Amino acid sequence: MRFIHLADVHLGAVPDKGWPWSSKRGEEIWETFRRVIAYIRENPVDLLFIAGDLFHRQPLLRELKEVNYLFTTIPDTRIYMIAGNHDYIRREGGYRGFAWAENVTFFMEEKVTCVKDPLLPVYVYGFSFHHREIRQELLQGLAPMEGEGLHILLAHGGDLEHVPMNIPALSASGFDYLALGHIHKPELMIKSGAGYSGSPEPLDRSETGQHGFIEGWLENERLRVRLVPFACRSYEQIVVTLNEESTQGSVEDMVAREIIRKGKENIYQIHLRGERAPELLLLPERFKSLGNVLLVEDATRPLYDLELLQKQYWGTLVGDYIDYFSGRALTPVEEKALYYGLQALLETSR
Amino acid sequence: MIIRKLTIKNFGKINNKTFELTDGINVLYGENESGKTTIHTFLKSMLYGISRQRGRAARNDVYTAYEPWENPGQYGGILWFESCGENFRLTRNFSRSRPYQELLSETTGAIADAENGSLERILGDVSEVIYDNTVSVGQLKSVTGQDLVRELQNYMAGYQGSIDSSMNLQKASQMLKMSRKGFQGTAQRRRKEIEAERNKVSAKMEYLEKEIDDLLDRQEAAEENDLQGRDGRRSETVLAEHLEEIRERIRRVRIIFTVLPLLCVLGAVFLHSQAVVLTGLLFLGVVLFLIGLLRLRSLERERRKKRRLLEKWVNRQKKIRWDRGNLEKNLEEKGTDYENLRAEYQEYEKLLHTPVPEDQEVQALTLALETIEELSGRITGEVGLSLQRRTSQILSEITGGKYTQVLMDQNLHMTVNTEERSVSLERLSRGTLEQIYFALRMAAGELFCTREPFPVILDDVFGMYDEERLTGVLQWLHKENRQIIISTCNRREMEILEREDIPYQSLLL
Repeated sequence: MRFIHLADVHLGAVPDKGWPWSSKRGEEIWETFRRVIAYIRENPVDLLFIAGDLFHRQPLLRELKEVNYLFTTIPDTRIYMIAGNHDYIRREGGYRGFAWAENVTFFMEEKVTCVKDPLLPVYVYGFSFHHREIRQELLQGLAPMEGEGLHILLAHGGDLEHVPMNIPALSASGFDYLALGHIHKPELMIKSGAGYSGSPEPLDRSETGQHGFIEGWLENERLRVRLVPFACRSYEQIVVTLNEESTQGSVEDMVAREIIRKGKENIYQIHLRGERAPELLLLPERFKSLGNVLLVEDATRPLYDLELLQKQYWGTLVGDYIDYFSGRALTPVEEKALYYGLQALLETSR
Repeated sequence: MIIRKLTIKNFGKINNKTFELTDGINVLYGENESGKTTIHTFLKSMLYGISRQRGRAARNDVYTAYEPWENPGQYGGILWFESCGENFRLTRNFSRSRPYQELLSETTGAIADAENGSLERILGDVSEVIYDNTVSVGQLKSVTGQDLVRELQNYMAGYQGSIDSSMNLQKASQMLKMSRKGFQGTAQRRRKEIEAERNKVSAKMEYLEKEIDDLLDRQEAAEENDLQGRDGRRSETVLAEHLEEIRERIRRVRIIFTVLPLLCVLGAVFLHSQAVVLTGLLFLGVVLFLIGLLRLRSLERERRKKRRLLEKWVNRQKKIRWDRGNLEKNLEEKGTDYENLRAEYQEYEKLLHTPVPEDQEVQALTLALETIEELSGRITGEVGLSLQRRTSQILSEITGGKYTQVLMDQNLHMTVNTEERSVSLERLSRGTLEQIYFALRMAAGELFCTREPFPVILDDVFGMYDEERLTGVLQWLHKENRQIIISTCNRREMEILEREDIPYQSLLL
């Protein structure tokens, strides 16, 4: 028995709105879903679980048809799916009334129901969202039914607004695997026999790291799972620590090398740290031409010895200025202001 | 503060030299490159230490420049001075291997480490930069008139706005504003891009709205059709009845116009009457038959017409029913699409109102600008007026009352007043500009060293003075009764002092 656990595909989402690569990302989300299906076609699995938020919003008929067609191309795989908080089931339209292919089981109810797989001794449990939020602990006290075989629960949510759940308790109640959705960063909880598969493609800049799906199989009567990286891009962070010798060019070169090393296709957030020569005025905008750069955070400080400067310039404006910002905890804006002002005053003086 | 004596053990190219100073005018005379600047640097380094630069910059910093070639373990000397009636001896060795600093109060016999703040307490409000701005007076660097005027105005503006004549607040704020503009531009561009995307979505929404309206219209029309359809169903039965009627009539015509001609022919055969009657009957039969045929034809035509009409009706009804189902589905789909677009629109709206990283930079730059402005405004408020007043006074004294007032307006433009008129700096001679500069430096020295007067070191400042001006300045210095160190490569100063009978001490290098 082999299965694939997928969740939070968010078909229709367009990440990084307003950035040049944004619309491409929208297409890539679809493309990666198609690749998953193609992957299943080549390495057939018995079961495919989709733990909610397959769609970013209410699915349109043509989108459902598209997905349904893809499901018909893997007829040997039984598909079990639920709706999450994004593609929740509304009174009209969307999922309601759609005729799925024969190999698809959609858990339509907002309470847990169970379906036995027609071919394998596997019991699949699931429920769908009918609302944007469910604050109720829907799964409290839930336990699998009697029956020889594997008991697998599909559930979406896990935070306060979306079906709060106690994962260890659920798994202790007898489920062999909890196929979870809602959290976009993949997370395997081996001890609990549970996993958030995460989104196959990362959807915003906080979703760094690898993305893909979870593959599971039985090995000597024991269920094993692993994460399969599948995303075509990732969000990466580059931290550059500057020193006194750094120049705009040297930092750009360093960033460019890192981008090439980690992959030109990835989307970058650049963090500049350390101390720079006081006369160096960094131009963060220039980094954006080096690749898909989403953000440049400049936390460098000009290399000023504040204590010494304060002593040397005591009684003059610079002294007053340092004085104004010392002896208290500074907010990030204040700290930046201190260095901006100091740099301007000192660099323009004779 | 009065500097009594200095012994240079090893500093730059000077070693083992001692100079004793009076508390009046001292003239340090030497050719160019003879070490006058070394003595100034020595004095300052003794009082403030030599801060080393880090990294590459250290290669040509002050420390390295004056580090002795021979015997670098001995790098420094001794300075004797008096402050607030107390005598001190300050000993320093700047060497890397044996750094040493000792401050001895010859009056109380207390010994302290010069670095732990005891020296700072004695120097009081004169920090290193204040020292640069008041104690040590260098010559104006500019050569041409325009630059000279600008330099002088910068000095004065620097004093007024920051008590530091080397500051250029206008430039500094320009630099901050430029950076701010850059960040604002980036943030704006980004918002514009998002706005463009949002507008695309709203255009799609508008289009969809029209489509939905259209569909709703069609739905309404279909409903009306349905009402008509009810009438239609009535007309359908009427049509069917008509059709039946026509069929009936056809049947009747068939019978009548078959039977009548037949009767005519039969009559003609059985009656054996005259040929005329016979022919008449036959003719009548033929005529009746033909009439029948014509009648039948027209009736058939009518029947076909009615049947077509009926079929049309039925088909139309079928189509309407099918259309209505389709319309409903279409409307539902479009509605979902519209809802999704609206959610997307809201996301863009939210994004537009979310702060971008550049906002923080803009805030920081604004805070820097405002803080500088406020602090500088405070300084100007405290010293601006008294600086102008004292500078005017000194200028008047050294020019024998020719110029009575030095003014600086809001745009940092300077003018001087004579008894009769006001003159802008551009129209003054270099000599007069030098005098204004001197007056300004002297006034600053008095105003910014408030606890006790500091000596004034005049480093080659009288080069451009003519005889008369130099005499005026020297007389004024004598009258002021302060410790003055004039360093010069000219004998003129000493000659005038001799001639004017002003006491001074010469130090020859």
